[in-house]
Amino acid sequence: MSLDQAATSASSSKKSGFSFSQHMNELSLFVAIVVLYVVFTSTANGFLSFNNQINILRDAATIGIAAWAATLIIIAGEIDVSVGPMVAFISVVLAFLLQWGVPTPVAFALSIVIGALLGSIAGALRAYFDVPSFVATLGLWSALRGTALFVTDALPVSIGRNDTLDALDRSVLGIPPAAIIMLVFFAIFAFVSRKTAFGRSVFAIGGNAHAAFLSGISVSKIRVALFAIAGAMAAISGILLVSRLGSGNATAANGLEFDVIAAVVVGGTSLSGGRGSMLGTLLGVLVITLIGNGLVLLGINPFFQQVVRGLIIVIAVLANIQAIKRSMSRNKG
Amino acid sequence: MTQTSLAPNLAHRPIASIKGCTRRYPGVLALDNATFQVAGGEVRALLGKNGAGKSTLIRMLTGAEIPDSGTVEVDGEELLHAGSGRAQDAFDKGVRVVYQELSLVPGMTLAENLFLGRWPRKGGVIQYAEMEAQACEAMGRLGLERAPNTLVASLSPAERQLLEIARVLLGKPKLVILDEPTSSLAAAEAEKVMAAVTRIASEGIAVIYVSHRMNEIRQIAHSATVMRDGRIIDTVDVKGADTREIVRLMLGSEGSQAAALENRSQEKTLLEVRNLALAPKLSSVSFHLKAGEVLGIAGLLGAGRTELLQAIMGVRRQDQGEVLVDGKSVRPGHYKRMLSRGFGYTPESRKEEGIVPLLGVDENTLATNFSGVSKSGVLSAKMMAEATRKVIERLHVKTARTDTPIGTLSGGNQQKIVIGRWVYANSRVLLLDEPTRGVDVEAKAQIYAIIRQLAAEGRSVIFVSSEIEELPLVCDRVLVLRDGTLGEEFKSPNIDQDALMAACIAGH
Repeated sequence: MSLDQAATSASSSKKSGFSFSQHMNELSLFVAIVVLYVVFTSTANGFLSFNNQINILRDAATIGIAAWAATLIIIAGEIDVSVGPMVAFISVVLAFLLQWGVPTPVAFALSIVIGALLGSIAGALRAYFDVPSFVATLGLWSALRGTALFVTDALPVSIGRNDTLDALDRSVLGIPPAAIIMLVFFAIFAFVSRKTAFGRSVFAIGGNAHAAFLSGISVSKIRVALFAIAGAMAAISGILLVSRLGSGNATAANGLEFDVIAAVVVGGTSLSGGRGSMLGTLLGVLVITLIGNGLVLLGINPFFQQVVRGLIIVIAVLANIQAIKRSMSRNKG
Repeated sequence: MTQTSLAPNLAHRPIASIKGCTRRYPGVLALDNATFQVAGGEVRALLGKNGAGKSTLIRMLTGAEIPDSGTVEVDGEELLHAGSGRAQDAFDKGVRVVYQELSLVPGMTLAENLFLGRWPRKGGVIQYAEMEAQACEAMGRLGLERAPNTLVASLSPAERQLLEIARVLLGKPKLVILDEPTSSLAAAEAEKVMAAVTRIASEGIAVIYVSHRMNEIRQIAHSATVMRDGRIIDTVDVKGADTREIVRLMLGSEGSQAAALENRSQEKTLLEVRNLALAPKLSSVSFHLKAGEVLGIAGLLGAGRTELLQAIMGVRRQDQGEVLVDGKSVRPGHYKRMLSRGFGYTPESRKEEGIVPLLGVDENTLATNFSGVSKSGVLSAKMMAEATRKVIERLHVKTARTDTPIGTLSGGNQQKIVIGRWVYANSRVLLLDEPTRGVDVEAKAQIYAIIRQLAAEGRSVIFVSSEIEELPLVCDRVLVLRDGTLGEEFKSPNIDQDALMAACIAGH
């Protein structure tokens, strides 16, 4: 408890213990998840089955791994829309590396390094050339998807038999490794964001970049690092994608970036920067994943699913903003 | 500027008059039985130090404030509304204030900005030809010769100021109030604005001109009204009165002599600045700073005080000149390197550049050196609380907890933390830009004490202030920044407020 409190410094109270109003955001998300469970359990056949719960976890991992890094980026007042194409591009890169006989661990490492380098290009454009991060990552979004499609002709790049990759798709005690990796990274990112100079500097930059600079924080370096980390995390998603599909796939992860941003925003992180939490994003990822899963099980027309999803996302954020506003005005009074 | 236009045209009737107005805020008498009148065709300078009541007087005229007692008349009619309609009433009667830089859209053209939101249109389509013709006429009236389709982004600061004035003139005002319109301008640029002001007055409009630059006032104003402590002290003929006389009126007789400060300056020179130039504000600035010394820099708003500090710190790169630390020349434009040399800087605008409002007092303090409160790269909650508590106690910061979001603290306490972060970082030279702005009286006194205490420990402080009366309370030595260079030097205990103010406002 004490560790957690000191960490969330600005938002927790030492004297009164857990304060509901300070965690209004997480609480209301938790309620939303419970509501979704109740609704889908009573309406969708097989929603509560073990297999479906595992599916939810696996789907959550796809969004979650990228969403941790995206949370930091959005807290810093930036945005990254290149996630989907980055995942697909790295899956293609990894497949080619394996085809060429590069040892699997080396191929993994190379994929992650390439992801980080590509991300840092966007970061450098933002940090040193003042290109808005939306534009820099939009460029990356288009170029990566295009490159991957161009070199593969939009066909899957098969990797043949690979024990390591197979192991990555084999459940441990019924839990898919992707979900475990997601949770491990969640712990790491939650820790970094609260307990390290880097993490706190991200909050400071998003809260007031000018003040952060004048305090001696290396604003530019941190911005580059953030996008490099996002690239590396997308690369890890790309590796998991290859393990799941058994091939590199240039058309995969279509629209993932919007699921990621939606999860972060539903999780209560402010798009204007300076405010947000990893726990919120974890809950946001669950909300987004549950909606997707439930709507499929209900057999709703896939086109109409998108409409429902859009509505639910906007309503969730709207309700969250209202709840926070109410609790803040109560606090003042 | 023609000499003939300087004589007030007494044939004009008063445009605005304030009679026996009093306005009281909690704890302050902002306006004390003030009576004031300004006639059409007249340029009236309004002088007074910060808090003298100038803004309140102006807000009376614009209807933004309602007097507790007394009346305000514009164009022969009393402002009667008691609510929000009052400002509209004053506006309808022709009172206008020219705001600085605030209301222009840089990406739109001069003509579009001039008519912003009220573009001449037919069926929703903007009539560009008509609009630009009108713009040409309006701008020509003020002596601004620019194509109406010029982007505002490419205008000089003076031209933008003229555009603001032109916009105000479109409403056919009777009284135009300008609040320090030249403070952000270099001398040559200011001339253009002053010429425009003279033209406006020659059309029969009354002008109130708030400024402290005596050369400007002498050039364009017919008379000057001096305020102090909420009262109108006197209205003098600027031609007759000399600067010393006006300063005496502004500061009053009390001119409290500061208690002698214990001078702890050592022989060692920590910082030396040689012929530093940064267009358009600074032409050649040279000075040195000794260990343990508190050096004050006095100067009017817009004299280039902030630019000087930023050039020294490497936030801006100077055009010319040298900065030496411990006798060694430093490369310009490297802020972080100045920090590692033991320098610390607190910016003038606390909200915009000083604090991260959502983060705690602790993180706002410790951001200068997170590694000082980390164990193997991990922030230690215990060390953070301890280090923050030290700073809080030393600087008498009032906060419930060490992790209270700094945005919820009072301005004075925020400022103490902004200074405190450099105390925590153990800086040996602190550059403080207007550290007492927007801070209550008690916090001000505490900040003075903190600065003296830092000096006693052998640290050096550069203290920039536009409040003349506080400089003798803190500084071992004061230099006056005016016309891009440092002029007069005053040494404690002989820092005379009157002489200091006179040096600040004097024109060459």
